Amino acid sequence: MRTVHTDVLIVGSGFGAAAPALRLAEAGAKVVMVEKGPRVQTADFRQTSDPQYLLKYIKGAPGDHLSLTYAEALGGGSGFYEMVSLRAPSLVFDQVDAQGRRLWPRGLDRRALDPYYDVAERMLHVSQIALDDVPKTGLVFAQLMKNLGYSVDRARYAVRGCQGSGFCVTGCVYGAKQSLFLNYLPQAVAAGAHIETDLEAVSIASLPGAHRGHARRLSDLPFRYEVLCRRGTGERDVVRFIARVVVLGGGTVGSARLLGRSRAKLPLLSEHVGRNIAYNGSVKVAGLLPDSFPDADMFTGRSHPGMISYEFLESHGITVHGVKALPLMLVSAARLRLEGDGREPAWWGEPNVELMRQMRRRMIVLAAFGLTPPGATLDVSEAGDGRVSLPLSSDLERYHGETKGLLESILVRNDCRLVRTEFLDKSLAPEEGVHFSTAHQVGSCRMADAQAAGVVDVNGEVFGCPGLYVSDGACIPSSLAVNTSLTILANAERIAAGMLDRYDLRPAAAA
Amino acid sequence: MNAIPRRHAVRQLGLIAAGLAVACTPMRVLVSAYPQVFDDDEGLVDRVLRAFVTAVVPGAPADDPNLVRAHTDPAYPFAQYAAFFAADLSRRAARRFDGRAFERLEPRERTAVIAEGLAADATTRKLYNGAVVLAQIAFYAGIYDPKKGCPAIGFEGGNHWHPRSDITHSNPERFLSHARTADGNYA
Repeated sequence: MRTVHTDVLIVGSGFGAAAPALRLAEAGAKVVMVEKGPRVQTADFRQTSDPQYLLKYIKGAPGDHLSLTYAEALGGGSGFYEMVSLRAPSLVFDQVDAQGRRLWPRGLDRRALDPYYDVAERMLHVSQIALDDVPKTGLVFAQLMKNLGYSVDRARYAVRGCQGSGFCVTGCVYGAKQSLFLNYLPQAVAAGAHIETDLEAVSIASLPGAHRGHARRLSDLPFRYEVLCRRGTGERDVVRFIARVVVLGGGTVGSARLLGRSRAKLPLLSEHVGRNIAYNGSVKVAGLLPDSFPDADMFTGRSHPGMISYEFLESHGITVHGVKALPLMLVSAARLRLEGDGREPAWWGEPNVELMRQMRRRMIVLAAFGLTPPGATLDVSEAGDGRVSLPLSSDLERYHGETKGLLESILVRNDCRLVRTEFLDKSLAPEEGVHFSTAHQVGSCRMADAQAAGVVDVNGEVFGCPGLYVSDGACIPSSLAVNTSLTILANAERIAAGMLDRYDLRPAAAA
Repeated sequence: MNAIPRRHAVRQLGLIAAGLAVACTPMRVLVSAYPQVFDDDEGLVDRVLRAFVTAVVPGAPADDPNLVRAHTDPAYPFAQYAAFFAADLSRRAARRFDGRAFERLEPRERTAVIAEGLAADATTRKLYNGAVVLAQIAFYAGIYDPKKGCPAIGFEGGNHWHPRSDITHSNPERFLSHARTADGNYA
């Protein structure tokens, strides 16, 4: 077994991992990053609907009333996301739990995060989409809202030179999407970081003396953690890392899974690991446009259609946007049936073919992201498979019903015909009752003011485990009502800045 | 308490297994309780599955080489049930339509057979449901041919460049409502 000593071990390579890797390496720390998934770059991507290609990178955690999607590859989800990069609205940070306690730690709000949003936006070249680039579906969505007097805004994206091919979610073959392997990660390597892929961290153990050593300088700290990693391919050899500081950035599922597996060796770990998962309460509805509307286009133009409405954010706690979907994503996600079409079979055969022929140009899908409370729990099997469960409270059912009703009313009042959807589980059978699906899961190791309420403190440091940090979506304590990637990255920048300060490391500009 | 003699226990287990074999699809698959010909004759399975897919997706070209590939592709779990599934379609067709083969039925008759499977016991329903969705996914997404996609729904597969006029509408200002933000970020 190979043993590697390092100042800092970063687990994962996505939005929560990339910033600490870069900032600590720039400041002169010896940084090693391990990523469970394969090394990918632009040339590896394909514009395809081959499920086997996608399943190499895209993983899922199924469950009761909620299913999660996440990526395992260099750069985490950044290779496959829709590159929407929005700041969390201020009211997000004011959310409270059932007891009226603020979900976010004291002092952490939009104002505190804004400087780090600035950094993240610069790094990813985030900008508001030009009006001339808004895909047809986004413009049709805007028209739907305009007809009812509702506002719409052009959204913001991490992209340069978008070709509008419509395959963002299979990886951008043009290198236009600002995935992390185009910016943060190569810059971290240039600064001296070492990245190993196909290497999964399977356990963390604190070493004797881990709780001692309050030395200010990183290099004076003792080696405090042993992290065992297993190669995913080839000989499946085990690598043992000995680190002064460990940063978990493997995502909401990955970080909770790793900490959960390591509980016996981290005796002071909070009971909240794997709990309190928030998921942006995504609700979707579909309809067919009336003849008075111009065509939308499901397949052409960037995967996210360019527009977002904050109209109902203050009143209902939701944002609304249009959705584009490739046939693979749509058909594998839901059974479709045109409301009012009494023919049987309703969701396959001739009625379904007629509906699918209208999918590209005439179908419009609306989605809402909402400030649903952090109520889901992740359980991990011995084999490492995650399963999520979400207790369905009456409040949650009411949220789902009211949100769905609001979205449907937007369609109906524009004379759209509704398309009824039954969402499918992993075995392709319909989910029973209310079911949420998301790639915006956060909070499985949430930040809190005290261990009684969370897993890490406001600095991202695990309660009871000095030098062990969580910097990814797992530490974000609430739903955001917008896509999560930019907030995760900004918060990771904030945590990294705190580490530089704590360990007397000078940021790159000052070094 | 009397111990149950081993022979008796084995017999009891056999009876339970036989009962399950009648009632439960996976057990029938496990005990290979379907005609051997469906394991031996790949051509038969192919014909039945083609008749199935063209009933699920009317208008799908029956001679498309990729039409039923997903149902027998070892990459997907359904492949292990393909022969059983074809046999089950045939059995239901014969029982319902005077011994006629599923692949020789009219489309509406095949539709009735499939609907029967979708309304059967929970396990059979799951199998038929998976087969239908798999047919839809493979056809509409064109999963085996990214250059072709699915012409029936205007999906071009991957890697088709489009001019801006295809991507957006002209005079986009006419679609816009009032905005709530200066730059897309809500304060």
